[in-house]
Amino acid sequence: MMNAVNDANILSIKNVSKNFPGVCALSDVSLDIRKGEVHVLVGENGAGKSTLIKIICGFHPGDSGEVLLEGVHYAPETPRAAMDAGIRVVYQEFNLLSYLSVAENIFFDHLPRKGPLVDKKKLHDDTVKVLRRVGLDVDPWQPVELLGVAQMQLVEIAKAISSKCRVLILDEPTATLSPSEISRLFDIIRTEKQEGLTVIYISHHLNEIYDIGDRVTVLRNGEIVGTKSVKEIDIPQIVSMMVGRQMESEYPFMDEFKQTDIPILEVKRLRIAASPHEISFALKQGEILGIAGLVGSKRTETVRAIFGADARLGGEILLNGKMINILTPKDAVEHGICLLTEDRKSQGLILDMQLDCNISLASIDKVSKLGLIDYGEERRQAERFTASLAIKTPSVSQLVRNLSGGNQQKAVIAKWMFSDANVLIFDEPTRGIDVGAKYEIYLLMWDLLSRGKGILIVSSDLNELMGICHRIIVFSEGQVSGEVLRPEFEQERILRYAYRVS
Amino acid sequence: MDTKKIAYLMLNEAGIGVVLVFLCLVFSVFVPKFATMNNISNIFTQISINTVIAVGMTFVILLGGIDLSVGSVLALCTILAGLTITKETLPLGAAIPLAVLASMAAGMACGLFNGWVCERWKIHSFVVTLGMLNMARGAVLQVSNSRTIYSFPKEFNAFGTLSYYGIPLIFIIAVLLVLIGHFILKKTVFGRMIYAIGNNEEAVRLSGHNTKIYKVTAFVICGATVGLAAILYMLRLNIASPILGNGFELSAIAAVVIGGTSMSGGKGSLIGTLIGAAIIGVLNNGLLLMGMSDFARQIVTGAIIVAAVIIDTYRARLSKMLS
Amino acid sequence: MKKFFAVALLFALALTMCGTVFAADKKPVVGLVMKSLSNEHFKKMEEGVRKYTEEDGSYELIARGMNSETDIDTQISIIENFIAQGIDVMCIAPADSMGIAPFVKKAVDAGIVVVNFDNPLDKKALTDNGLPEDFVYVGPNDEYGAYLVAKYMGETLGKGAKVILLEGSPGADNARQRQNGFLQGVEETGLVVLADQTAHWEIEEANTVLTNLLTIHGDEVQGVITAADGMAVGSIKALEAAGLGGKVLVSGYDNQDQVRPLLLEDKLAATVDQFGATNAYEAIKVGIRIMNGEKLSGWIKTPSELVTKNDLK
Repeated sequence: MMNAVNDANILSIKNVSKNFPGVCALSDVSLDIRKGEVHVLVGENGAGKSTLIKIICGFHPGDSGEVLLEGVHYAPETPRAAMDAGIRVVYQEFNLLSYLSVAENIFFDHLPRKGPLVDKKKLHDDTVKVLRRVGLDVDPWQPVELLGVAQMQLVEIAKAISSKCRVLILDEPTATLSPSEISRLFDIIRTEKQEGLTVIYISHHLNEIYDIGDRVTVLRNGEIVGTKSVKEIDIPQIVSMMVGRQMESEYPFMDEFKQTDIPILEVKRLRIAASPHEISFALKQGEILGIAGLVGSKRTETVRAIFGADARLGGEILLNGKMINILTPKDAVEHGICLLTEDRKSQGLILDMQLDCNISLASIDKVSKLGLIDYGEERRQAERFTASLAIKTPSVSQLVRNLSGGNQQKAVIAKWMFSDANVLIFDEPTRGIDVGAKYEIYLLMWDLLSRGKGILIVSSDLNELMGICHRIIVFSEGQVSGEVLRPEFEQERILRYAYRVS
Repeated sequence: MDTKKIAYLMLNEAGIGVVLVFLCLVFSVFVPKFATMNNISNIFTQISINTVIAVGMTFVILLGGIDLSVGSVLALCTILAGLTITKETLPLGAAIPLAVLASMAAGMACGLFNGWVCERWKIHSFVVTLGMLNMARGAVLQVSNSRTIYSFPKEFNAFGTLSYYGIPLIFIIAVLLVLIGHFILKKTVFGRMIYAIGNNEEAVRLSGHNTKIYKVTAFVICGATVGLAAILYMLRLNIASPILGNGFELSAIAAVVIGGTSMSGGKGSLIGTLIGAAIIGVLNNGLLLMGMSDFARQIVTGAIIVAAVIIDTYRARLSKMLS
Repeated sequence: MKKFFAVALLFALALTMCGTVFAADKKPVVGLVMKSLSNEHFKKMEEGVRKYTEEDGSYELIARGMNSETDIDTQISIIENFIAQGIDVMCIAPADSMGIAPFVKKAVDAGIVVVNFDNPLDKKALTDNGLPEDFVYVGPNDEYGAYLVAKYMGETLGKGAKVILLEGSPGADNARQRQNGFLQGVEETGLVVLADQTAHWEIEEANTVLTNLLTIHGDEVQGVITAADGMAVGSIKALEAAGLGGKVLVSGYDNQDQVRPLLLEDKLAATVDQFGATNAYEAIKVGIRIMNGEKLSGWIKTPSELVTKNDLK
């Protein structure tokens, strides 16, 4: 593998700085990307990864310093110019035109022509060729909207490599993929690497670095902490470089809390939309219960139905042994059950409102009298939670939009701590959150547990579930297909339940 | 420090006021009679009705909705109030309050219908209120037999010309309404929810609130302000007619939008709306006093509305830099 | 479903045919196409014509109106329905003096006697559509009516008096005719025009526009001539608010019910009655005469009369 890497630098970043009003996003960054390598960029949110990528891709210029592309001065003024120079990016959010076909999307910028018309035959043949390269077997004329997320990503990659591509930048490519899809993506990257492609790979999943990377660069607070060959460094070292201090482990698990056999929340014969099966399970006092399963196994749908966010077609929900009737989220909140949704930006927070307003959103009655808001009290309460959860913000008047992902998630937790919820359901609690903040959120969960709350976690990150749960139940196609206790935690066993192979 | 805070508040709540002040200055210089007490008082009268409707419209637009029916509902309210007030069997002391009540009730009923249909069947308010626009117009023509109602009691008409220190009563009512509305939006839980829902309805719902109630209430408030505007209309012109109010929705929406309220909801203020209504009123008045022809006036008014909103986007940037 | 429609269609067709045959045996059927019934002018016309029809009894009446003044589409579909129904006489007040002409031609070709009233069809549009230039029109002369009221104002105020004119919507035919008439009367009697502005027929707009004009001309204006009674009502309120009530002479147009008390209280000096109902009835009678073989064409004028306080007694 190493022989594909030669030492010539394709991209040299020299002393680049970038300031935004009030923030220094990049300070004096220098980095060489070698031709034909997979270079992994890691760092906490706000460390400067995306600013760096945006400078390379022509979204905005750097304030000082310069970039050399194969030794030639390179300063793209527009994303278009960067593309023409052979720098291609695949973002987390796709840029596909969903009503157009796969072929039209891939060759959107350079459709083959026959006179004034599109040369359909050539378009078809070229598409088949490039789809084969990325190992995607779909009809070129199929509209993109009918594809799955993984397939769409492959279309994006196909689009990127269909024309001149010298450097391919992948931004969190595995965030929404299943394990088998991830390994296929890695195969494609390896093949393309053999062909001489250079890849810059951005990820929060540190273990991926060893699967795919040649070298890794760690960024922190707009500066480069170091660039190492993946062979010379292990995960704890990377994490220490990222957060700037030593961490004992990625997941805190506190043995002093023992789960009991007393159920807090019982779900009996729950039926949800578009699934013929019944779901039953119980959350016990003092435990963190994890729900594992593949994408599409109806984990999110199930917790949303418990919370009343979506319709429940049948079944019972018992809280502390008493049956409760939850028809809307309002009912659930009044019973002390809360849901921290997977998409916190669009469902958990009001981004354009202040932090204090967000924290009091579910407990507005506690800071108001006779329908009038007591602003002083609201502020005091918000400040209390900001301090106890260590939310990093200049003040509680800050708009939530301006907080980092980890602090946004803490704001959601603060909202529900203030409402004094007894059962907290976390759906993908740490997606898109950097390592340091992740750790703090796990600690918060333990803090909640110590106050007698029950915690239910839905996550696609098996390591996370195995790291912090007492017990994991596995979902498969809308049913509970298995249960694993902490002493028996084993990735293979959970996946077997998830795929339902014995 | 404090001046910065004041500047920030100015920019946020009333930044568009700069445009108003500028317009007033220009007219004062170029139009000799513009800056007279009498003329200012006239402008106050002329913007009152639009201001009152725009207050209700602001609530609806803050939630990301729109109410196109205000013009014809206004006509319906005037006719119902007119029928009540001219009923000979009623003693005057009862007829006037009953007329006000009838007008407000009719407006609120229409608002309730708008809001309920929008929420019950999840239809955008644009469509529902467009339907209401026609229904209310048809209903008022039916009820009134397409006749104008006039000759209200003298006591009632006398209210319309009341003024204190040159400030007309109906304008005082409009300003009071703006202040009450501003208080509700900024200080109460209800107001907080209006902004929150306008920003992100799903997040509010998932935080355990019944968002539908707030949304329906906003339409009812809008209906109530239309009912009040109908009374002001009758006070000002002493007439109730089934064909009045055409295009009033556009003036009200214009006032709200010029005032800085975002059409997609969640951002804006009633002080802005008042200034927006004042800008429209000052333009109509000032340009006419300049002796500009009707066509030229329309062109200039339209252009200044667009310009005001463009200036507003710069204001937003400025306030961001300050914060 | 298709079958159902076909049957329904046949059924409807049969019904209309029956109707036609039935009508041909007995009285002639007259279709009356008006403009907006939300306009008091047409509402009164409809009621008046119904009354005359009852008294007359020699024909059957189908009266139709639209939702708003400028709703041309509805008017066109009314005409098409009348053609399909096969009526004998159609009297039409066109919503658009040019746009309606092709459909008048259609009706004429279908053998219907068409009489134009209230608002004359455009001469060029008539000839362009193969209709005679002197197509029969029964109606008042707006220009003449406007001339009458302006002349009355001029004579009452005296030579050199200063007036403000408030016009209807620019672009409307009758607004233009009234403006011409006003200017003619004003010139003849030597009035001075301070301002000539539109208020789009609206009460509230007339009030606003006049209030603003009074800011400039408040101390010199002696008369306000308006092109509609509603605008006169708005003007009177504006004058009262400016403390000029009773000091400035105001005139209206159309003689609507609402201005009666204003005339009696001397708040309104004059208005013009164009007798909408008799006008429409006149048009119907003309249509029946043509149907019976008489040759009539050109402008058959109906009266425009000045109405002042004295006429009400």
